[in-house]
Amino acid sequence: MEKLDRVSAFIWIIVGIFFLIGGIKYNVGNFHNPDAGFFPILAGSLLSLLGSILIFSTFSKEQEEERNEKAKERNILGKEAWKTSYIPSLTLLILFLYTFLLEVLGFILTTLLCLFLLFRLTNPKRWLMPLILSVSAIILSHLIFSVWLKCQLPRGVLTHLF
Amino acid sequence: MGSLVENLLLGYQVAFSAINLLYCFIGVFVGTLIGVLPGIGPAGAIALLLPITYGMAPASAIIMLAGIWYGAQYGGSTTSILINIPGETSTVMTCLDGYQMSRQGRAGPALGIAAIGSFIAGTFGVVILMLVAEPLTKVTLKFGPPEYFSLMVLALTLVTYLARGSMLKAIIMAVLGVCLSLIGIDIISGCSRFTFGIVSLQDGISVIPMCMGLFGVAEILTNLEVSVDVTVFKEKIKGLFPSLKDWKDSIVSIFRGTLIGFFLGILPGGGVAIASFTSYAVEKRFSKHPEKFGTGVIEGVAGPESANNAASTGSFIPLFTLGIPSNVCMALFLGALMIHGLQPGPLLISQYPDVFWGVVVSMYIGNVTLLILNLPLIPMWVRVLRLPYWVLFPLILLFCIMGSYSMNYNTFDVYVMLIFGIIGYLCRKFEYEPAPMILGFILAPMIEKALRQSLLISQGSLSIFFTRSISISCLIIALLILSVSVFTKKRRQAIVKMVDSD
Repeated sequence: MEKLDRVSAFIWIIVGIFFLIGGIKYNVGNFHNPDAGFFPILAGSLLSLLGSILIFSTFSKEQEEERNEKAKERNILGKEAWKTSYIPSLTLLILFLYTFLLEVLGFILTTLLCLFLLFRLTNPKRWLMPLILSVSAIILSHLIFSVWLKCQLPRGVLTHLF
Repeated sequence: MGSLVENLLLGYQVAFSAINLLYCFIGVFVGTLIGVLPGIGPAGAIALLLPITYGMAPASAIIMLAGIWYGAQYGGSTTSILINIPGETSTVMTCLDGYQMSRQGRAGPALGIAAIGSFIAGTFGVVILMLVAEPLTKVTLKFGPPEYFSLMVLALTLVTYLARGSMLKAIIMAVLGVCLSLIGIDIISGCSRFTFGIVSLQDGISVIPMCMGLFGVAEILTNLEVSVDVTVFKEKIKGLFPSLKDWKDSIVSIFRGTLIGFFLGILPGGGVAIASFTSYAVEKRFSKHPEKFGTGVIEGVAGPESANNAASTGSFIPLFTLGIPSNVCMALFLGALMIHGLQPGPLLISQYPDVFWGVVVSMYIGNVTLLILNLPLIPMWVRVLRLPYWVLFPLILLFCIMGSYSMNYNTFDVYVMLIFGIIGYLCRKFEYEPAPMILGFILAPMIEKALRQSLLISQGSLSIFFTRSISISCLIIALLILSVSVFTKKRRQAIVKMVDSD
């Protein structure tokens, strides 16, 4: 876990410095009258300090423990990571694309496409069932969000049809 | 006493209105469903359904959300007992003996005692909440900014101490939450901080998409890594009502679990999971046959199930009396109260008695509904469990996206949710717990306000925190907890490993 901890600790130090520098740019005030930059400086410094402690703590751990954890590290940072995380990564890609296209193509078209891809992602052999499920889910979500909750879902290119 | 009766009558009036009965039913039904389904927890579900409550009256909204919260504790036990997969972290311990009971053909009594124990604990919790909350607010009214600051520092320390795994990592998560809360307009000076000219960031990051991402999307992404082959218990479940011997064996465990759960539920960070872990450990310690634990003893189901339900009610006490959330779901309740224009804090009960007493009485109704819902409807929940995950996860994701989008009708909140989904997914991989981040995020504006007000009052002197008795007591306890955690680090890690291996 040491390598993973060092990577994350490094990120926390950077994030902490970001808030620290950001805080200095605002009015800091003083102890009598603390201003907008006061608390960001405190929080940023603390995050950087904790990140540094985490880095130091990784050097003091026993070597035996390190050997046991190497396989795990390979699973998260190494080549083996792709084997376990490609479905989650593809899911995220589909979701980001969905969000990007939601207001352009509209709720119905984008959701149909997104759901169909997601249903097939873990079940690639089937075509008909994902299609039926996608259409049913759209009808159900349209009834819940548009009809019952009166949400204004984006119509996109289908604006003139409704 | 007179005022208690009057308040209860007001509560009955609110909770027994047709619309609130309906919302209470929807809440406990959805809660049980969420508890049964392993893919999403109560935090994700509450975040998901919070936007739906915008058009409701405040009492109705809180009644429904509370139903989801305690309903999930009931539902979680079903998956633990029947398929050895905990629906919630709070029902992990139920797997140990509950599943073994199922394998021995005693799934019925296990499910029965889980539901009845939960009912007893839940009802006891509501009675204590009702009796304690109002007198406590009279004490908390005396709190000034220094007391609030120290109390919240203590709360955050407890949250990080009680988090699973490394305490240092839990503190980092809490401070990261504090940093993220700084984005948006400064509450005192009105200055815009860390917004980089993005208009949607002026109001800060909303806690709802943040929770949906951390607890909904991240959970799904993690589940997608492994193909879970669920084998649902196929035998007919019979004899749901426990026998006389089962009652004799479990009644003390139910009451012990109730007490442990309620008091651990009040503690910030204590929450439902720790309550059930502690209850299981205590039952094993006090048992005449501890070696039989894990082989299907009914006390191993009765204790933890009662504890997690009592804890779910106990966690409302700091929220209603101090306005301080003790866990992620309570943080969402805090958000819900504010969205509905209610100011959480010591004045909440006196200013909005209909909301508080309505919610309290609805909990009685909810507990009875859950008992009715759980026992006869178990075959239906079993059928729900047979729903394959490839059908379930796209639907949960769709509802998460629609929930985020419908908050402000823009895609910004959806992006926020997805980014926090990635953060939550990485947190699980890098062994960081996301719950302290949410509590840090929620408590930070209050901590900042209390710190700055305290320094203004004391004209820059930090002695204000050390000269007031409540404030110094809180800080000393926080310091003691930090010291204890350093000295008992190895022991703590051993306990975590033991729980994980179980």
